[in-house]
Amino acid sequence: MSESTAAAPRRGLSLDVYAVMLALLLALLVRFNLIPPIKW
Amino acid sequence: MASAAATAVSAPSAGIARRALELIPGLLLLAAVGYAGKFIEQSIAVYTKSHHITFPNIEYVLWAIVIGLLIANTTGVPRIFEAGVATYEFWLKAGIVLLGSRFLLGDVLHLGGISLLLVAFAIALSFTFMHFIGRAFKLKPKLTSLLAIGSSICGVSAIIAAKPAIDADDEDASYAIAAILALGAISLFTFPLIGHSLHLSDKAYGLWAGLAVDNTAEATAAGALYSDAAGKVAVLAKTSRNALIGFVVLGYALYWSSRGQAQAVTNKSAFLWRKFPKFVLGFLLISLLATIGFFTKAQLVSLANLSRWAFLLTFAGVGLRTSLRELGKQGWRPFAVGAIGEVFIALVTLVLVYGADRYLHL
Repeated sequence: MSESTAAAPRRGLSLDVYAVMLALLLALLVRFNLIPPIKW
Repeated sequence: MASAAATAVSAPSAGIARRALELIPGLLLLAAVGYAGKFIEQSIAVYTKSHHITFPNIEYVLWAIVIGLLIANTTGVPRIFEAGVATYEFWLKAGIVLLGSRFLLGDVLHLGGISLLLVAFAIALSFTFMHFIGRAFKLKPKLTSLLAIGSSICGVSAIIAAKPAIDADDEDASYAIAAILALGAISLFTFPLIGHSLHLSDKAYGLWAGLAVDNTAEATAAGALYSDAAGKVAVLAKTSRNALIGFVVLGYALYWSSRGQAQAVTNKSAFLWRKFPKFVLGFLLISLLATIGFFTKAQLVSLANLSRWAFLLTFAGVGLRTSLRELGKQGWRPFAVGAIGEVFIALVTLVLVYGADRYLHL
């Protein structure tokens, strides 16, 4: 339940930005074949 | 002098390294629980197929959540794992952005537009209803506001965004979050059953789950429990709902400040931008790239699989972070108001989705 702490809103915003950055980085790595195909 | 400067530089990087190390045990636990869920699903499928037994496929999502719930509510999650387990929302958001690759921008605008229309309608109804029953149950007005925001927009994130904006107490925020999390956990088990009994299509069910289940992680899980396609639609509908968070929180902030019980909002556009969930933009960007043919078909499959792996960590986290004992401690009244409101919203959105499926051609 740590989300209810006062520091959470600031962390929530930066969390979004970091998540987007990671996803875009992975998308670029896939696009330029810098990582092998991902299997499920 | 040089060594002092070196110390000054190395201190923050040592701090970052230590924080990164603290995440590892919890991340490994998320991966182990999530993978165990996947392993159980596959093992059952192989066993029932080789023995010619007809058995319904239970998705890894449910197994991962159940294993997580069992750990959290029996042995408990030891402190060493807590930091890493708390990253499950990060993986959820990264997974949603990557899922953008599975939508053409036209579909996003079509389904997202319908979702926004339905959300606006459901919000108006649910706010009125929540405030009515909040008053009937004699809840504090700000707690009712938080419950209304949480149940109509976006669960925990919306409550966190609204708390400072309307100057609500920590205690009220904890009550509202606990009620929303408890109801989210219940919806994971009830929504797929209701969807199957009503024979809802993947699109209709996904839209319903995305509109009616509050927390993004639970909405994603409730959709994926029904089918892969329903999970995709649930994420899109929930993302559209999340995009409205700033407007609703702004409305409440203006209301409470007009009554002298919250700080005035000086710059409304800056406020909206601060509260806007940025992962929605990432989702749209990846969807745009997929639409213009930036990725090959094989690369799109890889991106979809990466999104699945990110969701696997998320679903494990949903179970591991749900402590039934903690939820039980929060008292019955906020839970009762939340529950009545949720049932109302679920019914209203179900009717709306039925209507949309019929007249707007999902």
